[in-house]
Amino acid sequence: MARTRALSVTALSAVVALVASACGDGGEGRTLEVWIMEGTNPDATEYFEDIGEQFREETGVEVSVEFQPWADAHDQFVTAMAGDTMPDVAEVGTTWTPEFAAAGGLVDVTDRVGDTDHYVDGLVEAGQLDGRLYGVPWYAGVRSIVYRTDVFEELDLEEPEDWEELRDVAVTIAEEKEDMTAFPIAGGAMHQMTPFIWGNGGDIAVQEEGGTWTAGLDSAEAREGLSFYTDLALEDGTSTTGATTWLETDLQDNFIDGNVAMMISGSWTPAAILEGNEELEGNIGAFPVPGPDGGTSPSFLGGSHLSVMSGADDEDLAWTFIELLTSEENMQRWSEDTTYFPGTQEQLDPYTESDDPLVQPFAEQMSEAGTTVPVSENWGKIEGDQTLPTMLQAILDERSTVDEAAAAAAQDVEETLNEGS
Amino acid sequence: MTVRTRRRPRTRIGWRAVGTWAAVAGVLFFTLFPAYFMVASSVSVQTGSGTDVLLPEALTLETFHYVLTEAGFLLYLRNSLVVALITVLGSCVLALLAATAVARFRFRMRTSILVMVLVVQMVPLEALVIPLFLQVRDLQMLNSLIGLSIVYIALSVPFAVWMLRGFVAAVPVEVEEAAYIDGASWGRMFWSVLFPLVAPGLVATGIFSFIVAWNEFILALTFLNEGDKYTVAVGLRQFFGQYTTDWGAMMAASTIITLPVMLFFLAVQRGLVSGLVQGAVKG
Amino acid sequence: MGDPVATRPAASTAGRRPSRRGASLRARRRLLPWTLLLPALLVIGILLLYPLLRVVLLSFQDYDLSNVVSGESDYIGFGNYVQLLTDPYLWRVALPNTVVFAVFAVGGTVVFGTLVALLLRTLGRIARTTVISCIMLAWAMPAVSGTYVWVWIFDVDRGIVRQLLQAAGLVGPEGINWFTERLSFYAIVTLNIIHHGFPFVAVTVLAGLLTVPRELYEAALLDGATAWQRFWHVTVPTIRPVFAVVTILSTIWDFKVFAQVYLMPGGSGANPEVLNFGVWSYIRSFSRQEYGLGSAIAVMLTLMLLVITIVYLRSLFRDEELR
Repeated sequence: MARTRALSVTALSAVVALVASACGDGGEGRTLEVWIMEGTNPDATEYFEDIGEQFREETGVEVSVEFQPWADAHDQFVTAMAGDTMPDVAEVGTTWTPEFAAAGGLVDVTDRVGDTDHYVDGLVEAGQLDGRLYGVPWYAGVRSIVYRTDVFEELDLEEPEDWEELRDVAVTIAEEKEDMTAFPIAGGAMHQMTPFIWGNGGDIAVQEEGGTWTAGLDSAEAREGLSFYTDLALEDGTSTTGATTWLETDLQDNFIDGNVAMMISGSWTPAAILEGNEELEGNIGAFPVPGPDGGTSPSFLGGSHLSVMSGADDEDLAWTFIELLTSEENMQRWSEDTTYFPGTQEQLDPYTESDDPLVQPFAEQMSEAGTTVPVSENWGKIEGDQTLPTMLQAILDERSTVDEAAAAAAQDVEETLNEGS
Repeated sequence: MTVRTRRRPRTRIGWRAVGTWAAVAGVLFFTLFPAYFMVASSVSVQTGSGTDVLLPEALTLETFHYVLTEAGFLLYLRNSLVVALITVLGSCVLALLAATAVARFRFRMRTSILVMVLVVQMVPLEALVIPLFLQVRDLQMLNSLIGLSIVYIALSVPFAVWMLRGFVAAVPVEVEEAAYIDGASWGRMFWSVLFPLVAPGLVATGIFSFIVAWNEFILALTFLNEGDKYTVAVGLRQFFGQYTTDWGAMMAASTIITLPVMLFFLAVQRGLVSGLVQGAVKG
Repeated sequence: MGDPVATRPAASTAGRRPSRRGASLRARRRLLPWTLLLPALLVIGILLLYPLLRVVLLSFQDYDLSNVVSGESDYIGFGNYVQLLTDPYLWRVALPNTVVFAVFAVGGTVVFGTLVALLLRTLGRIARTTVISCIMLAWAMPAVSGTYVWVWIFDVDRGIVRQLLQAAGLVGPEGINWFTERLSFYAIVTLNIIHHGFPFVAVTVLAGLLTVPRELYEAALLDGATAWQRFWHVTVPTIRPVFAVVTILSTIWDFKVFAQVYLMPGGSGANPEVLNFGVWSYIRSFSRQEYGLGSAIAVMLTLMLLVITIVYLRSLFRDEELR
């Protein structure tokens, strides 16, 4: 299982205290408060000790890092904004950035960043609200298909290159391997589904000229993609009954237990999977999600921004810290530690030529077909409401047809995105 | 005939003992099976989400070591203990006084107060998070274990008042009157007559407050921003990643969290029996 | 049969007692209950009542994340309530889920807990302490971990329940996803709640049982009462206040149960069919940042509980119980 070596906050604060007492002459006793999401980097404690050291040398100011578990981070931000107890700098999930910016919690960094061309496009796009940038792309990940090479070899299968082949491969595995789930369709995992909507030319929602959003989930393309994806479970039997209520974590847990042959999974997961089950070493591979007639289906580009929080004591100082974190050297080490991709295009490029079979396909997916959800301050509500998983589960549970569920979800998405405008 | 009538009750008693112990076994199975599941998945080497953990092939204590040291649970245990003990003491004292007032005196607004105390418990805690956070911030009690304890006292007092009210009301008034006739003051009566008689209720209330303070996490999470102030329930959250959950560590931590409650119970359980003793003395 | 109980004077005599003492004493007596109440009222007032008032105020506002940050308020009168009460979702899903579930959960918890308490009373001291310690485990298990364990036990594909049912031939190889059906979903939640909640009832009722004077039972035995009669006519009336508290509190907790639903598969919103008031309010407030609407749901839940509790107290227990 995934040992996300959660760091010892205690050890960290002890070190911070030690550093503080040893070098008490530097700075004016000021500290920069930073929130970092917990669990992304197994060695984050050590990493941030080093960063703190570098920052102190550069500015004479101490850094105090608090690690926030992802599970409650959103609520933590909200209460901190309400109570004015925000840190100076924070790591913000890319889909939250427009939302927090609209609420007035983040500082506009457009002018500080200047030219954004060297960043990965999708991340810049996700960090914008009304044309202004509120988050600096830090790192990103993307989902592709992870599979068991040993199963493919045993059944003499090739990596599929279009949807028809994908279905054939999945059906073959389902028929031949009784003790395995060939390609589970997890009802609670939204970004495993979206490639099939985007890949078929559909959209979650599109913004019109005047700024109004129109939902695309009920378009013929989106419904066709959805039908293909859900029929894998309902018609072709590549999934299991239980998967209707699976979350993304259940996919991974079951893959680690050796019960799953193929799944859509993040670029950051192979390392964790191998750590969870060493027997899978050498037996897993990856390929980009194929397009319906070849090519690649776009998949969600997720990741984090670094933002200066409103109310930071010293915005320049906060910015210096962000610059330090995103410097080439530090960025590279972070990517190596976390197996996430860096947020700049030039740093990403080497990965697309990597000969690592568990890196290259993801990098290819990311630079060729990484895409984002609608960039809107209201997107967080759609995620929070689980509108898309609701649609997916209703179809998988055969409570609604694809058309009914897509129409209902489209209505929800459209209403929510257009709220307040 | 006589033989028969004598034998029948004896076999009845035999069957009764069997029935009792079968019932005990049933209760224990129902209670312990999930707990066994928890412990088993914390010591099993392979901890997926399946049932393979029920009979683990290989055991390891590595998760416990990891949870206690690297994940900082030793410190969290200490913090939680401080918070829980202050909460138990505070809520028991406050609640016993208040319960005596509402159970033994008639005064204006008594019913309103009782209803108010009941109503404040009805609000879902999740809805209170933000207002309570603002309040605690204004009182300068953020990031303070004492501050958190006071909030927990507030959370458990209403419950404790209602519970103790029942116990105080159940103490026959003659017992009190007897003390007055003996010339005792109200304070003396309270301390040497009422207090021992409601001790079992106090123990049950104490256990409840202990568990509230020990397991609550939403408020602890919002009020404590510094890692070295975290309580165990907050510490538990670190095993939930964005896309993964560290089941082994989570279950090991849960096991560690569960044990002190049992120890606390063992420490105070004598009080539960003291009522029985009192009853005998009284007779 | 009810005789042993009837001899116990009602608590109402307490107020008349000090008449033969001095007037100053009487004045002190009048202040005494307030002195006793003061500390508890202070804490409750500052840390619960005032925030509760804020929740009520929030429920009349259109309050989202930007309001949270700026602190500005935007009153819309009864808008939130109108929106909620006209939403068929409330009547079709949230209300039945909350109420029907609570009825079964409270009934199950109180009945099972009382049976366990009666069982515990018949045990010897050591056996009793051992069994209670084990029961404590169920209570002490964090709700989060407990819920995950139940989800594992009922895992649709590989859970032990599935395996047993399949071995018994009751479930086919394709299985049933019991997390997607309201009824089976809440059956599992109920089991979880009873498991987590019965130790409290058992320990409290046991504590109550132990305060019942022995003589009452002896008297009843002399009258030739059966075990059931002794329970119904001696035990129940004597510890009625304890039962009242246990039932009311269980009702309150089970109406606003949160983690045990939220953490179940589909319980955090992906399956709207299974939400109850507590989860609904949370999702509205925190996932959708409609704090006004979320607060309105919370206020409605509170009002509902208030009405139920009053009806409860009126019908189930003698009037003087509350006065």
